[in-house]
Amino acid sequence: MTAIAPHRAPTMKMYVVVWIGLILIVGLEVFLTYERLPAGTLLACLLGLALIEAALGVMYFMHLKYERPALFWSLIPYLVFALVMMDHFWPDALRLMRQRMQGP
Amino acid sequence: MGQSAMSVGAAHAARIEGSPYGIQSKKLAIWLFIIADAATFGAILFAYGYLRLANPGWTKPFAFSPTIVNGMVMTVVLLTSSLTMVAAVAAAQAGRASTGVRWLGATMLLGLAFAALHLREWFAMIGEGWRLFQNPMGGSPLFGATFFGITGLHLLHVICGVVVIGVIALGFRRGRLDAVHVETTALYWHFVDLVWMFVFPLVYLMNVR
Repeated sequence: MTAIAPHRAPTMKMYVVVWIGLILIVGLEVFLTYERLPAGTLLACLLGLALIEAALGVMYFMHLKYERPALFWSLIPYLVFALVMMDHFWPDALRLMRQRMQGP
Repeated sequence: MGQSAMSVGAAHAARIEGSPYGIQSKKLAIWLFIIADAATFGAILFAYGYLRLANPGWTKPFAFSPTIVNGMVMTVVLLTSSLTMVAAVAAAQAGRASTGVRWLGATMLLGLAFAALHLREWFAMIGEGWRLFQNPMGGSPLFGATFFGITGLHLLHVICGVVVIGVIALGFRRGRLDAVHVETTALYWHFVDLVWMFVFPLVYLMNVR
């Protein structure tokens, strides 16, 4: 028979703490936007904060922290690999555009 | 015949391996869908990033008020809908069906509020002359394509989510669906919420005046 693990979940208090944390991070993102940082620095900060938000959401709201580690290791590395590959190959699209032959 | 079928069934059941993840197949299926959909959003956000880099005079049209304020309100509404969703899952798992349905209803209302705020913003921009390939500020016409494309795909996910939550709430109230269905729907809803955590900073905050 299929073995379904007994379900563990955070308490409602923990959910509220995560929710407040996520709202504070959004506030921090807006604050940093108006600090007039260089575009690259701002992008790095916003992406970093968005990744923290995603991690909090996936681990607590989506309960990945409370599932078997096999689920995490089967899903997340694949997604990271796919995104890294996209980042790696997208510049190729721009290179190919520059290699187009000029029309007569 | 009956005994024979039973013995075959028992032998078959004994050979079925346990779930390697300890979760029901419907939950694993929604996780696989989420990962595939995350890759889709990742692709369009990467495409947006490279388009933005390839156009040095990229338009930055968003003022703090009303656009960023509206975006912050939308973000809080969506985050709050995730909180009501976890409350719905907790109630459903505890066997409190009516409470679970009420929380699902609250999540639907918040989802609809998000969609209404989003559409109000869209209509205001369209009123200013923004179109898919038309930029009233004179910059790259691709701004409209990326903005309406990315936020439109996300809005479509939100609207689909609201419909699905309604269907699940109805089935759960009538006893046709169980707590795992509610939990599976919640996973999708949280995912839609998490995608917005990337759309808001990259599409809105990176384009403030």
